[in-house]
Amino acid sequence: MHYIKPVLLTVFLLAMLALLAFGPRGTGGLPKEVQAGVDQGKITVVTYWEKWTGKEGEQMGEIVKDFNATVGKEKGIFIKYLSISEIDKKTLIATAAGVPPDIAGVWDTQVSQFSALNALEPLDDIAAEYGIKPGYYKGVYWKGCTYEGTLYALISTPATVALHYNKRLFNEVGLDPDKPPRTIRELDDYAAKLDVVQRDARGNITRIDRTGYLPLEPGWFIQHTGYWFGGSLYDEKSHQMTMTSPPMVAAFEWIRSYTERLGPKSVMDFKSGIGNNFDSPQNPFLTGTVAMVQQGTWMANYIEKLKPSMNRWNVPGTQAEQNAAREDLLRRLNERATQLAAVKVERAAAGTTDARRAELAAKEEELRREAWVLRKQFRDMCEWAAAPFPSVGKPESPYEPAIDTPTHAGFDVLTIPRGCKNKRQAFEFIAYVNRQEVMEKLCSLHCKNSPLTKVSEEFLLTHPNAYIEVFDKMAESKNAFGIPPIPIWTEVSDEVGILAANTYQMIGPPPREALAIAEKRLQRKVDRFFDRQAIRDREEAAAAAKGK
Amino acid sequence: MATTTTKTAPAGMTERAKEWQQVGRGLAFLSPWLLGFCLLTLLPVGLSFYYSLCDYPPLKKPVFVGLDNYRQLLWEQDVTGSRGDPIFWKSVYVTFKYAVLALPGGLFVSLGLAMLLNVRVPGQAVYRTIIFIPTLVPTIASAMLWMWLFNAKLGLINTLLARIGLEGPGWLTSPTWLVPALAIMTIWGVGNTVIIYLAGLQDVPKELYEAAEIDGAGVWRRLWHVTLPMLTPVIFFNLIMGIIGTLQVFDAPMIMTNGNGGTDRAGYFYTLYLYDNAFRYEKMGYASAMAWILLLIILALTGLAFWSSKKWVHYQGK
Repeated sequence: MHYIKPVLLTVFLLAMLALLAFGPRGTGGLPKEVQAGVDQGKITVVTYWEKWTGKEGEQMGEIVKDFNATVGKEKGIFIKYLSISEIDKKTLIATAAGVPPDIAGVWDTQVSQFSALNALEPLDDIAAEYGIKPGYYKGVYWKGCTYEGTLYALISTPATVALHYNKRLFNEVGLDPDKPPRTIRELDDYAAKLDVVQRDARGNITRIDRTGYLPLEPGWFIQHTGYWFGGSLYDEKSHQMTMTSPPMVAAFEWIRSYTERLGPKSVMDFKSGIGNNFDSPQNPFLTGTVAMVQQGTWMANYIEKLKPSMNRWNVPGTQAEQNAAREDLLRRLNERATQLAAVKVERAAAGTTDARRAELAAKEEELRREAWVLRKQFRDMCEWAAAPFPSVGKPESPYEPAIDTPTHAGFDVLTIPRGCKNKRQAFEFIAYVNRQEVMEKLCSLHCKNSPLTKVSEEFLLTHPNAYIEVFDKMAESKNAFGIPPIPIWTEVSDEVGILAANTYQMIGPPPREALAIAEKRLQRKVDRFFDRQAIRDREEAAAAAKGK
Repeated sequence: MATTTTKTAPAGMTERAKEWQQVGRGLAFLSPWLLGFCLLTLLPVGLSFYYSLCDYPPLKKPVFVGLDNYRQLLWEQDVTGSRGDPIFWKSVYVTFKYAVLALPGGLFVSLGLAMLLNVRVPGQAVYRTIIFIPTLVPTIASAMLWMWLFNAKLGLINTLLARIGLEGPGWLTSPTWLVPALAIMTIWGVGNTVIIYLAGLQDVPKELYEAAEIDGAGVWRRLWHVTLPMLTPVIFFNLIMGIIGTLQVFDAPMIMTNGNGGTDRAGYFYTLYLYDNAFRYEKMGYASAMAWILLLIILALTGLAFWSSKKWVHYQGK
């Protein structure tokens, strides 16, 4: 009987091995027909990691679904879409481990950082094959997708930053809502008029109940303030930090001026009170506690989600009636836009006679006029408005802008991590997203402007952001700027952000001195990065030569 | 009838061979753990030491730079003339400030609570449960809860302070109050330590109390001369665990300060800077050096605690 145990053990082990070798397989989340195609070698599965979760993630999922059902089906590509958090870190770790996704949807801040680390596939040649060349994008976006002249990313959705202001509050204090501030000086004047403060017997501000503007509310672009003053953080040609240039110092002194005027304690108490409530009905812009904020294209979405009444301003009736009025307006607007598109198509068609063309031209003009009137009505329903963020004024005339339409242009990108298995198939999807109609659909869903040079009238007419033209025009501006191409941007951004926050709260030395210290520290870090990069490149070159 | 059989070594096997056979069997049984330990702990620890001597962005080959990371962290001259990385020193300061507040605070509060919960009163189990419940709340949930409690304008704490005529600070925005606020939050979750103290209290021999009572000792004298000395091994254990825990605190400040340490980096803990260097700035070598320095600091403090324990920790029967 002593052999029973070994026999049982052997049988058990063999059964396990058989199960491993021939047992049922999971499909890895793939539909059965796709798995069958993969098994037959007819379908390539492209893994796509995207940072968006929630509604934005679902909306990108719709685009993926469209691709899989059309181009993907035709070309034998299936996009396996995964919405994951902390994508930057996970992509980097997966790339380092040699198992990257085929597509990684990261932020603009990663383009320089990942490119400098050699973590991304260059895309110039393959993009050119699909007709995606510099002129395809608005200049600022194309530049942001490149690092040291090489294309490493293409855009999924972009944005620009504008001044958002409350028209109702403007009316209340006697400001014209159709004349937003154009210069920093004007912004300061408006802000002072909109402030509601309490003072002690000596006239000192003891409490802020409402503020016209505060540089750190929400302060998401505080690192970039210098650009609105004509300065920049970094000179990419010489790899030098330029934080002590006069415009940068002026920008930081301006940040500090708000606290000097309102008092550090009142400002801090106010900030503490409003907390960190962007995605909440307590958002101070929505509650009317802050009258003007620097925000991006996406703000319209948040207003509709968190305080829809701000999009039904001056509409009479109950809430249900207001909703119905807005829906009716949007329906008519969409109808006109669709008719307009159809007329354009017919007019451009080869078989259309000249007489019919003339008739269609007249109809097109009429539809266009009607549509833009409706669009204006849509805009008038908004309690808020957006305008280019004011820039510094001319030295001789501070109320005349010295810089024409400056803005910060940020964006989300699609990249192909180095070492991925299916570069060409991955790019097929990226190119699909960059088709005008697909890009406009995605940007409309995400409430963003289009990065493309060509923008359809229908996109502008039906966009959920009533001020989309403002954002689109800003993106076209020659003074639109993106993230500086600093390979250690995250570190620089953190340092400059803290410096700006300290300046605002009057902590530490005055701006000029603080900027000088920060500039030297950051320059040392940038130099060290390039020095070590050079050592590494030399070692790699030597190893390659040895290998040959 | 049950029989037991023991395998005997083959005849002619020497004693040494038998020993080796036993060692081999022992190692074979230990091998899953040993393998896991070597591959998943020992190797990364060793590699992290090597990387601490390298410039190592995760996607590039590590370049050996000797002690340069340590030099930058500890003694390289900064542009202001001070020594070392100013953010590193700030993070050390913040972490120690927190440890100085949270560690003794936690030890005293939990000891006090344990003594109260040790008193036989109706509903004792309910009180114990109430004290223990906070430890079951995930850090993220408790951090969100405390962020509301600490809200300067709408928070419960400042509302209560206002009721008694005190103006509460901006707990999470003031550089002065951020670390104390985090320490208060930590002390709220001392349930585990309380349970350990409770176990220790119940282990104190009753005879000692009886003897002390016969000798005329009052409540305070019994506490000072019986309870506390008998609890010193437990206090010592909690102290060691506290040193290790407070110096490695990460999740609460990460959530409550958005990971950037808040105003003037007043809540920028050592681990936050380490994390940023490793996973946001891609400076894995620098982060590894920080990790080794933290290990040395914890080792030194633990060693100090062990050294001092000879003077104040009393074990039963010794």
